[in-house]
Amino acid sequence: METLLAKLGTLWPEIVLLMGAVSCLATGLNHSPFARRLTPAVAAASMLVAALLVLIIPDDTVHPLGLDGMGWFVKLAVLGVGLLLLALAAGVPDALMQQRRTDAAVTFDAGTSIKGEFYAFFLLSATGAMLTAGATDLVWLFLALELVSLPTYVMIATTRDTAIAQESAIKYFFLGAMSAAVFLYGFALIYGATGFTDFENIRAAVEADGVNPLLIVGVMMSVLGLCFKVAAVPMHVYAADVYQGAATPVTAFLAYVPKVAGFVALMLVLSLVGWPLPTPVLALLAVVAVLTMTLGNLLACVQGNLKRVLAYSSIAQSGYLMLGLIAGPALGADVEAVLTLFGGSRDVSQPIGNGLAAVLFYLPAYGLATIAGFGVLGVLWVDRGENPDPLDDEAQTFDSISGLWHRHPFLAGVLLVSMLSLVGIPPLAGFMGKVLLGSSIVSAPLQTLSYVLLIALVINSAISAAYYLRIIIVAFFGRDAEATHVRPTPLRFAAAAVAAVIAFALGGHLATPVAQSAHEATRHGVVKAPPSELPEPDTAVADAAP
Amino acid sequence: MPATMLTAASPLNALLAAGSPGGFNAWAALGILLLMAVTFGVANLVMTHVLGPSRVGEVKGTTYESGMNPIGNARRRFNVRFFIVAMTFLLFDVEIVFLYPWAATFSQLGLDTGWHTIFLGRMVFFILTTIIAFMYAWRKGVFRYD
Repeated sequence: METLLAKLGTLWPEIVLLMGAVSCLATGLNHSPFARRLTPAVAAASMLVAALLVLIIPDDTVHPLGLDGMGWFVKLAVLGVGLLLLALAAGVPDALMQQRRTDAAVTFDAGTSIKGEFYAFFLLSATGAMLTAGATDLVWLFLALELVSLPTYVMIATTRDTAIAQESAIKYFFLGAMSAAVFLYGFALIYGATGFTDFENIRAAVEADGVNPLLIVGVMMSVLGLCFKVAAVPMHVYAADVYQGAATPVTAFLAYVPKVAGFVALMLVLSLVGWPLPTPVLALLAVVAVLTMTLGNLLACVQGNLKRVLAYSSIAQSGYLMLGLIAGPALGADVEAVLTLFGGSRDVSQPIGNGLAAVLFYLPAYGLATIAGFGVLGVLWVDRGENPDPLDDEAQTFDSISGLWHRHPFLAGVLLVSMLSLVGIPPLAGFMGKVLLGSSIVSAPLQTLSYVLLIALVINSAISAAYYLRIIIVAFFGRDAEATHVRPTPLRFAAAAVAAVIAFALGGHLATPVAQSAHEATRHGVVKAPPSELPEPDTAVADAAP
Repeated sequence: MPATMLTAASPLNALLAAGSPGGFNAWAALGILLLMAVTFGVANLVMTHVLGPSRVGEVKGTTYESGMNPIGNARRRFNVRFFIVAMTFLLFDVEIVFLYPWAATFSQLGLDTGWHTIFLGRMVFFILTTIIAFMYAWRKGVFRYD
């Protein structure tokens, strides 16, 4: 119980976000219109305070899986990028027909206003992602993952005036419930195999008794269920429809927050068995990674809707991120061999070769580029005349961004940075991320598989250039789209621009410190010693177990 | 801690141990209970069917609605308000479920351990969240019937 209390002391950022969510509910339903307008500011303030608390409060609790600083890193990544997402999403409920009617009415009807709920759900989902990062127990992990997903269903359904928003929310809800059932079954099997739900005792049980088949099946089912959260094949089918149906700022949220939570959860579940992964888990992850990136990229090439293109791009990026999970934390000897190949020697303080650090670095890098891309789409609107349904006024088609460069060169520039970062062009964050992922997979002790996966990464990056560059070509050299206009939302504009600038910085000056702290967070991850270094099995412990 | 806690029987170990005499005894009571429950249920059904007089008719086949004549079909649409009331009821119902074990444990906490404040604080926090939910529902007009 003392450990529970100590753990509670590290949860102040989450508690502040929770209080912020409740305050948003209160201000959103306030009698005074001024207080109602303050709602997004309240949300932003609580996120800032939470970020400050993450920086101030020292987290000296020992992580049961050796990922000591991961909670800190992920919380900051969620809050930092979350602030940009909030700036992007501010004003989404105000544009709704029902909300406009409520705001224009003489007497305020609390029953029809959804302003407070939208920001409250936003904060709750972010809280879920932060709780996922701090999870030390399977039950906690499950509840945190559900807290990430449940608010997003409502956010999708309520923030657009078209029927496809409800359709996509229902699809997301039912498939999300199914995936939750799959990974919960996996968690149950892990519990069945080891007898514990907390990571510390599961690790102790695995170290004492070894990895049994039931545990492997449990981990594989958990991985498959979590594939839904990160939109990886075979659980990717919802992504395009849901991303298209949600309001563009909500889509940006969906592309980042659940994905971060999903990858953090995958990292934790895989840490239970440790690296190098058992062969069935390794085979599953490798197949999922290659299929995800290949299918995502090929399907993105044939889409006619920009939001669907970015949805499949998001699927493909999940495939790249899987490589880091396969590689795992720094594995020693093989890293040295690779580095001597390039004429350098292995310095364990460097992030090169650490797959988990690569994943942690790539998540915000991918998030920033995606937010910049969706931000540009969110700033634009298209005049579709009297009967705009089902596309309403959102800029979604290639036509709507055609010739953007001639009218809004700055927006076109942001789009350019976003797309180039997603391809992985050198001075940008996406390039650094792919370098870290590639180096980690090559230095992992997987013989041929390492090179197969690296080649898959390179070929897929080349395929992805086709559709990312297609977007750029349309935006820069296309015929001017007369019907496309810019929304009067400076905050949204600023969010997209800042995301693009940080994507630049993350590929330059910020790259080393961020990669370094990602490495520090994960370098003590669970790695099994080579067979020769294994200590004699402790028979006393094995005999004591019934 | 891990080494000592490992000795706790995992469900898998318990199931595997069911073949041994000690393991079987632990599960025997449960098996007998299940057997008794099933036998009692099935026996009652069979006996009613065999022994009871069977008179069927139109009046006997109709739905019983507290003595009144049934009106219309049961599959009709309800006002959505009933669902909201049902959900609010669930919210406060579940709260009470959590209150009982807390109240039962609270009196057993030793006065000198200092757990009192922590346990009280937890319950106050929990009740506070429910009060917030209640206020929210009130403001949203869930309890307004007009």
